[in-house]
Amino acid sequence: MDSKKKIKVLYIDDEPNNLVSFKASFRFDYNIFLANNTDEALLRLQENPDISVILSDQKMPGMTGVEFFEDIRTKYPNPVRILITGYTDIDSVINAINRGHVFRYIKKPWTDVDVQSAIDEAQKFYITTSMLAMKNEELQKAYEELDKFAYSATHDMRGPILSVLGIIDLTKGAEDMAEIKEMVGMMENAMLKLDNYIQNLHDHYSIRRGELNITDIDFENVMKDMSDLYDITGRVKNVRFEKSVQQNGKFRSDDISIKIIVNNLLSNAFKYQKKDEQDKYVGMFVKVENGVANITVEDNGIGIPGKDLSDVFTMFFRGANDEIGSGFGLYNVKDALNKINGKIDVISTENVGTKFIVTIPSK
Amino acid sequence: MSEGKLNFIVVDDSKLDCFIAEKIITNSGRCESVKVFQQATHALEHIKAAGQAMTTVVFVDIQMPVMNGFEFVENFEALPDNLKQNYHIYMLSSSINENDIARVKGYASVRHFLNKPLTNDTIKAVLEEYS
Repeated sequence: MDSKKKIKVLYIDDEPNNLVSFKASFRFDYNIFLANNTDEALLRLQENPDISVILSDQKMPGMTGVEFFEDIRTKYPNPVRILITGYTDIDSVINAINRGHVFRYIKKPWTDVDVQSAIDEAQKFYITTSMLAMKNEELQKAYEELDKFAYSATHDMRGPILSVLGIIDLTKGAEDMAEIKEMVGMMENAMLKLDNYIQNLHDHYSIRRGELNITDIDFENVMKDMSDLYDITGRVKNVRFEKSVQQNGKFRSDDISIKIIVNNLLSNAFKYQKKDEQDKYVGMFVKVENGVANITVEDNGIGIPGKDLSDVFTMFFRGANDEIGSGFGLYNVKDALNKINGKIDVISTENVGTKFIVTIPSK
Repeated sequence: MSEGKLNFIVVDDSKLDCFIAEKIITNSGRCESVKVFQQATHALEHIKAAGQAMTTVVFVDIQMPVMNGFEFVENFEALPDNLKQNYHIYMLSSSINENDIARVKGYASVRHFLNKPLTNDTIKAVLEEYS
């Protein structure tokens, strides 16, 4: 029996016989936890916060079932609460239902069918409310991002436009051809920056909304694509680019996500080099073993100050004084990794270098 | 005295906008010297090291990495009065965010919020305050 897939049900009753017979009746259908009193019940809840249905007897010494439900409601709002009681306490039951402490009640003595249907209904309710909570959280995150985006868009999209307008204003009064040419070059840079921003934005939303397309990944090919992109950069910027791939066995994942991840990490590694370093260096090493890909991207560049390390994956965070940085890159990396269940660690020392270690499981 | 020369400091992480500001300032005919900083921390170091200066107009961008314009102003305001008195700060930004603009007004040492780009007309209006 796979007890993992069974829903977790907690049953509280001061009558040991009831506990035993409850377990005997339902142990094949649910993952049952028992408690003899409310203190014990709290312990079970602490140990198993994912219990989804709680059934409690009403009449117990110390605390009634309704009181117990009232008590735990703020701390454990998710489990669905079912009260078991005899006809004599019908007033307290009505009261409890009306105040929202109890989802359903089962009258004593219970029949298996009553209990089963109550638990199944409760489970459906539990799933619906937890889904709703999850969706709400997602929605909240989306709103926050939208706010950040609206704010950043004025700076990152308007910025280059205003720069170009400023230069156009200047060229009106300029006579010297060399000076005018210099200004045209600057306008070109501003437009490249804007274009880079928009491309990053596009990447961002394709990760967000795009469906995963899981295929066999040959990291030799991924590396070849990156070589095509960065060998030239390395030569122009005088950066030594070392790479190796060791792939043992098949690896399946989303090709586009993987490329967005390594491309962003490499782009950063080449960008944040020390100007006066004699031996500029970037390394990318891939090792695939037992269905897990380990990708390391390292450099001996300017590094990340300790106080910024926790912020580097935040949207629009820009650590360095760099003209091209959009504050999108590592955020996109993290997003793509989330989609393919990967994780990333960063080790960095200012003025010594940075190492990103990515771990991705095969799908 | 109406056309007295002034010192200028420009703080902006965008090279391009620094270039524009520098040109406009030079063209204004009122420029004794202009210093450009792409990182606000460097500008702050410069002000601390320069000691008491002649009248200096400072243009500061808002959104910059490492230290943003607001942080720059907060650090500046913490300096001793005799050091601060001859610096006149203007915030220069592409921001159209109301919170940003309202926040600028909250700083005693900031004279005005100016919209980017800096143009001949804007600087003329600014410099009239120093005639």
